[in-house]
Amino acid sequence: MSTEALLMRGVTKRYGTLDALKDVTFTIKQGEAVGYLGPNGAGKTTTLKLFSGLTRPDAGAVSVAGFDILHERQKALTRIGVLVETPGILPYLSGTDLLMHVAEVKGVPLNERMASVQAAASSLGVKDQLGRTLGSLSTGLLRRVLLASAMVGNPTTLLLDEPTLGLDPAARADLRVTLKGLHKKGTTIFLTTHLIDDVEEVCGRAIFLREGQVAGDEAVSPEITGDGATGAIVVKTLDQVNLADITGLIKPPSAAELRSEREVVIRFQGGDAAQSDILRALVTGGVRVLGVSPLGPDLAARYMATVGRQEAV
Amino acid sequence: MTTPAVFANIRWEVTRLVRSRRVFLLSIPPVAGPIGSAIAFLYFHVQYQSTALLLGLLVTGGLSTLVMLDLSALSVGEELSRRAHFTLFTLPEERWAMLAGRVIVVFGASLAVYALGAALVSVLAAELVPATGGSIAINSSHLIEGVAVMLLFLGAVTLTASIITRSASEALVAGVLSAVVTVAVAGYFLLQGTLTMLFPAVLGVAAVIALGWSFVSYSDLES
Repeated sequence: MSTEALLMRGVTKRYGTLDALKDVTFTIKQGEAVGYLGPNGAGKTTTLKLFSGLTRPDAGAVSVAGFDILHERQKALTRIGVLVETPGILPYLSGTDLLMHVAEVKGVPLNERMASVQAAASSLGVKDQLGRTLGSLSTGLLRRVLLASAMVGNPTTLLLDEPTLGLDPAARADLRVTLKGLHKKGTTIFLTTHLIDDVEEVCGRAIFLREGQVAGDEAVSPEITGDGATGAIVVKTLDQVNLADITGLIKPPSAAELRSEREVVIRFQGGDAAQSDILRALVTGGVRVLGVSPLGPDLAARYMATVGRQEAV
Repeated sequence: MTTPAVFANIRWEVTRLVRSRRVFLLSIPPVAGPIGSAIAFLYFHVQYQSTALLLGLLVTGGLSTLVMLDLSALSVGEELSRRAHFTLFTLPEERWAMLAGRVIVVFGASLAVYALGAALVSVLAAELVPATGGSIAINSSHLIEGVAVMLLFLGAVTLTASIITRSASEALVAGVLSAVVTVAVAGYFLLQGTLTMLFPAVLGVAAVIALGWSFVSYSDLES
């Protein structure tokens, strides 16, 4: 089996005169969880449609689990579960009708079909809703049933387009836990979303898309501790930061790095005691500290720095 | 045991017909056709069995046409217009199998209920109109076959229109217009005395071409 769950090489996709994707290349390895971030019209859904065989590239190659999506479509689609945009529904069908059909087409044996459907529905908390018609479900419940349909048959890769859209906070948290659990079991997750905190919580890698091109590809949580440091904090100050003063107050191997006018990142060795010593040194040294927080991934800041504000196309 | 793709889609289409209650439409030709025809036989004091049969087949054929148009338009057009294909097209199956499952159910059911209606009309014509003989413009067995081919043609045209327009309602309009034109042309040939079995034969060829085009187009359809 290929180690590449998803591969896109030199892909261009045009809609009329609009270039939805321009020479996009990236690889996602088996077992990775990757967030695909970009503004409206950046080409996120087009990418997902290309991987799921819903549309064809004008140039370049797209493959799933080593199978070319154009020439080995069925083999490729057997490996994936897809939730594209907001798919339409046939409102008179029940959740069971839809999921049983998906299971049947995915080749789940007859005697395992119902168990497979119920397992997928249970993982999203909608097992009891399967008997209801799709048209009678609320937006959130419907989305969970459709997600369950993507999970039927235990695909090795999940392609999810805004999966938490329309979910209440509790359901969203549950879904994140479910996705993290699937990822731990080895399922590859490709998540397109506008919600950066979903990516921070579920994914290990983020790809930024800007005007149809890959603008960034990086780890969600970059190494926050470098040069032998074991911890890192962000100190917010009342006054403008003077980096030289702060560097003079903290003892090596601790190191300070300016983050903004009133924020400084301090990396240090040691645990809570070391952090406490640093803060005391700052306060006694005259730095008016407003607050302290651990250094997190801060994907939102990196996204804005990479993609910036863009008009939707 | 896994199911072959065409059978899975036959089951899917049957489930859709049942859940949407469109399945009840199938009762119209074999129920309303013969009953309506019988009332017409008696009300108009139809003299000959051959005339009664002709009348009954036209009534049943007309009702079957409506059923065929409706089911054909919705079989593919509904999924496309509602964007349900975003889910179905990502499943690991050949598109021709998806379409074949739908076509087999819709065309098969519509033709079956037409055949049943035609059989019942024949029985009622024999029972209610005792006199044999009489002179009619069309041979009844040719009419039965001709209407069946016309149903196939109209179903194929409607299916094709639903793939082109991605809309069940627009496909239905296209099907109705096709039916009007077909009947008008048939009527013209009848009045000219030149209506032969060549006409349904041409319709049959056109149906095969339309179906072939539909299978090719559906397989290449992008979202």
